[in-house]
Amino acid sequence: MNTPAIHATGLRKEFRQADGTPVVAVDDVDLTIQPGEIVAFLGPNGAGKTTTVDMLLGLTRPDAGSVEVYGVAPDAAVRAGRVSAVMQTGGLLNDFTVEETVRAIAALHGRPDRVDVVLERAGLTELAGRRVEACSGGEQQRLKFALALVPDPDLVILDEPTTGMDVGARQEFWQAMRADAALGRTIVFATHYLAEADEFAGRTVLMNHGRIVHDAPTTDVRAAYGGRTVTFRPPAEAVGPEGIDPAWLARAQQALAPLGVADLEVSAASLEAAFLALTAEVPVDTILEGATR
Amino acid sequence: MTEQLVHSADTAVVRTAPRPSMSTYGRLDLRRQLRDRFGMFFIVGLPTFMFLVFGLGSDDAVGSGNVAMYVMISMAAYGAVTATTGVAGSAATEQVMGWGRQLGLTPMRPLAFIATKAAIAMVVALMPVTLIFTIGALTGARGSWSDWVLAGALVWLGSALFAIYGLAMSLVFRGPNATGIASGMIVILAFLGNVFTPMSGLLLDIGRLTPLYGYAALARFPLTEGYLPTGGRDPLWLPVANVLAWTILFSLLALWGVRRSRARV
Repeated sequence: MNTPAIHATGLRKEFRQADGTPVVAVDDVDLTIQPGEIVAFLGPNGAGKTTTVDMLLGLTRPDAGSVEVYGVAPDAAVRAGRVSAVMQTGGLLNDFTVEETVRAIAALHGRPDRVDVVLERAGLTELAGRRVEACSGGEQQRLKFALALVPDPDLVILDEPTTGMDVGARQEFWQAMRADAALGRTIVFATHYLAEADEFAGRTVLMNHGRIVHDAPTTDVRAAYGGRTVTFRPPAEAVGPEGIDPAWLARAQQALAPLGVADLEVSAASLEAAFLALTAEVPVDTILEGATR
Repeated sequence: MTEQLVHSADTAVVRTAPRPSMSTYGRLDLRRQLRDRFGMFFIVGLPTFMFLVFGLGSDDAVGSGNVAMYVMISMAAYGAVTATTGVAGSAATEQVMGWGRQLGLTPMRPLAFIATKAAIAMVVALMPVTLIFTIGALTGARGSWSDWVLAGALVWLGSALFAIYGLAMSLVFRGPNATGIASGMIVILAFLGNVFTPMSGLLLDIGRLTPLYGYAALARFPLTEGYLPTGGRDPLWLPVANVLAWTILFSLLALWGVRRSRARV
């Protein structure tokens, strides 16, 4: 009886490039998301995230497969105001003010009563009179978030909402987002910042080359890139212009050997590196095996 | 008890079908258009200025009225056409540049969007026509009452043809400069269309085939009955045929543009 928020089976979408060669953007994607879930769509550029999102919203028609949003076709769910989205590209008129933009979209949803609420929810009340072109990228993104909240949707889909934002703006954006998620909305967001998925999503779907390569609780994905990394800060005299003195490294390795540390690797340890490993041409299962062992 | 009430209120989310308020959207969009000083200068300011320079107080007889009347109709036509071209062009550009995706996430139907934009275009087109006709009436433009009514109606309604033109151009050229290109070409077409200065000879023969010629000639027809300032006379069928031909051509171009832009997505 529990209708899933999103139920997609066998989604496929092909594009034709400028020179006429076809490219498969999304290839046989199955996805079911339950109400109340917060799901991250993770993948490098060109992985098919945006195309998948477009199909979930009914903006692009799949070549094969089917999508249901709350048991109905995506465009019907959009018209009913049950699902809305923060799009990655474009989407605002420069010569509207922030408030006019919200009022215009609220008029089309038939929800003029929501204008003040969503401005506040997105932290834009103070900027209401500012023209869109005078807003920073982060503020424009928050405005798009406000627009997405206008119909009071059950499901919000965000397509790389923080692309191009600086750290501060990104934090503000997720703060607004988190406050809203606490109210029980289902949230699906595409991102290529692993940290955002890590911090915010209960479930992570990894996409690459148009396919879902991994779909699991975010904690499992974290485990897949090796649990914890221990970092040492070498003494100043061991670090030269060429990096760390190999002799010192050998000594450190020797000293650690009795503790069961078999290998010592120096790297700019980052989530991004792990993410690249996960989306590399290597089958994910192998990496996962290595991680859980 | 209270808890139960809260709970039932939570689960029984009754969604009333939202009714888009196109009039509110239209009003906001119209206000945005009117705030665009640069755009409004070319739609209202420039044609009015040109009427003042070329038409004011010219009392030489033309048809059933005078030269001031003739120039008044021409410049009002130029202003109206600039308005519809600009509004329709920017509507297409908005769609392509991403606002269309935002609108696609609302219950509004595409047809309602087109109807709203058409209404806005016609309201904006009314402004130069009203202003220039008013100035003309106050400063000695002369013609029979039917000249005024027919010319006004033809200028206003005929400008709708250039909404199709603006749409077609924006879809063909794409990108943020498309509307600028379309509006710029209106100036050239206005020269060729016998709108700014009376032409003669070969240029007139070429001009007769251009899109603004038929529209402007038709709007002036009640006044001139087809007689040209440089001598000669156009039969009524000529501007009518011109307008019909360009309506079909622009429509086909717009349709092709729509198809092409759809194919990309």
